[in-house]
Amino acid sequence: MPSDRLRLRDIRNTSAFRLTVMFGLVFAVGVIALLALIYVLSAHELTVRTDRILRRETAALQNTAPDALPRRIEAAIVHNTSGVSFFGLQSRNGVRLAGNLIVADDFPVGHPRSTILNARDPTPIRVLATSVAHGAVILVGRDITPILDLRRRVLIVLIWSGLAIAVFVLAASVALSLAPLRRVRDLQRASREIAAGRLDVRMPLLGRGDELDLFAATVNTMIEEVGRVVAQVKEVTDAVAHDLRTPLTRVRAQLHQMQHLADIDPRFAEMAARGIADLDVVLDRFMALLRIAELEASQRRAGFARIALEPLLTGVCDLYEPLAEDRAIALTTETADGLFVDADRQLLFEALSNLVDNAIKFSRPGGHVSIGAARAAGMIAIEVRDDGPGLPEDDRRAVLRRFYRGTDTGGIPGSGLGLSVVAAIVHLHGFRLELDDADPGLVVRIIGEEIVAIPE
Amino acid sequence: MARILVIEDDPVTAAQIVAGLHGSDHDVVHLGDGNEALERATREPFDAVTLDRMLPGLDGLTLVSRLRERRISIPVLMISALSDVDERIAGLRAGGDDYLTKPFAPEEMAMRIEVLLRRRDEPGAAAILRVGMIEIDLIRRQVRVDGDPVRLLHMEFRLLEFLARHPGDTMSRRVIFEQVWGYYFDPGANLINVHIARLRKKLDRAGRASPIVTVKGEGYRLDAV
Repeated sequence: MPSDRLRLRDIRNTSAFRLTVMFGLVFAVGVIALLALIYVLSAHELTVRTDRILRRETAALQNTAPDALPRRIEAAIVHNTSGVSFFGLQSRNGVRLAGNLIVADDFPVGHPRSTILNARDPTPIRVLATSVAHGAVILVGRDITPILDLRRRVLIVLIWSGLAIAVFVLAASVALSLAPLRRVRDLQRASREIAAGRLDVRMPLLGRGDELDLFAATVNTMIEEVGRVVAQVKEVTDAVAHDLRTPLTRVRAQLHQMQHLADIDPRFAEMAARGIADLDVVLDRFMALLRIAELEASQRRAGFARIALEPLLTGVCDLYEPLAEDRAIALTTETADGLFVDADRQLLFEALSNLVDNAIKFSRPGGHVSIGAARAAGMIAIEVRDDGPGLPEDDRRAVLRRFYRGTDTGGIPGSGLGLSVVAAIVHLHGFRLELDDADPGLVVRIIGEEIVAIPE
Repeated sequence: MARILVIEDDPVTAAQIVAGLHGSDHDVVHLGDGNEALERATREPFDAVTLDRMLPGLDGLTLVSRLRERRISIPVLMISALSDVDERIAGLRAGGDDYLTKPFAPEEMAMRIEVLLRRRDEPGAAAILRVGMIEIDLIRRQVRVDGDPVRLLHMEFRLLEFLARHPGDTMSRRVIFEQVWGYYFDPGANLINVHIARLRKKLDRAGRASPIVTVKGEGYRLDAV
């Protein structure tokens, strides 16, 4: 059974989360692509502008006479107050002739290239090498640190934007998933109660007319119809039980009077006794049916109080011990002190008596039936365990239905109503009833909330 | 013979109760209205009352609580179609001494009236109950059969005490279960049978009839033997 606490796994599995993440990813990819395009275009534009400056300055130097070129280059260096431009003149084999810039002899000529200033100063520069007529090479360079810096900043912005988008998408996905998940939880809670037999419970509607509302409304209509049919069946059964009980009791009374007539033929007296015995069986079944109907209809909790389990279970054990002994079955009880539940003593005793009676009935001579209570996962589990033939898994839910008897009852008499009474009592208390394999045998558990003992 | 006031508005049920009580040789007065019944019960001496819960004029719960307010301690057997445990508790809390649900067997109703009458007639301080060869010391919680001490378990003692308080009266298994164990459901005939069998084994003496008599289809009776 899923817990009511929201866990990350539950959120992760929701459609809303997945859809939001998917749309978020598409959005993030779009934003990153846009930023990347801006990055590429702006880097390209800055490079093109640098190259244009390099070409313009190279063109100015190319027009200078070869003899005047070294002086012109030195003058350009002097006039370069910003310090971002570099100039040089070298031979084809790479020997420096003038200026503050030198490149290797295999440096491509005619096309600007990015490099570093020199081994000692790794300032990034863009250099245009141009051959001139007298066999020398003019070098014009420009510091591209600001461009690289800008590109780095754009890249950082890009990465941070990507991360921010991812976090935002996740946060938005979680936020958008919570409300639908809570609603689904509410629907799930309602459906669990309905599945437990509370046909008066309805799926909650918000009135928005959304998909969940439409679904819940459809389920509610279905439950209403199921509830109506179940109620009709119950009404018919209860009415039959109630209406037949009175005339049957009168018939029984008349048979009883007849049986005690002074001049009755002994054969008629015997027949009357047999009739009374048969009627008692029918009346007992009707009484059990009406008892279940009363318990199911009852909302009253006048008899509820804090009940100590140890004396209650000992009482059940004492009551059934002679019956168990009569059938050579060991009946034991083991309950820790200080276990309390909020219950109706009469009804809980009745339910446990029914379970112990069943356990004894279905155990073989020499068998063992135990009754006990213990804390289990913050709750209290009252347990009746036998080592009899047990109950096939398919029968375990079915036996809680009225008149259902297991597939292998071995001719043991019974009405098929005892466990229905137990189920109705357990339901009235808001407890849970579990039937499990005791390997061998059957274990029936009544699980309810523990009431903390008040210190004396 | 006791004088019993039957307060019941349904003529069929009333006839059944009256016939049952006449069968036990009681003098019966039948009334169908709550107010009139309260007035008669206040004015005239009755030994016991059978009281329907739903009556015209004054309902059964109010009637019994008015009787108790007026310090009339007459035993009251409440008879009702409302069989829920809560209803039973409400009936007993209002002042009823016993509670019987409809439909009922007249002999069970008569048996419950006998129990109430006997309870009222018991000498309050009786410390020892004697039924034939059985002697029950209620103070020391000891039992002697034919002078020999017999060890009884707690519930066996209570069962014997209950039967001994009504010697000669047949008690149904259901009444025994309610009065001895104090629970109001049907535990099945077999359960009470084995308790009785166990008690019988301890009480029976060779060559003498068993003091606990099984009345087929009805219940058990403790006889003086």
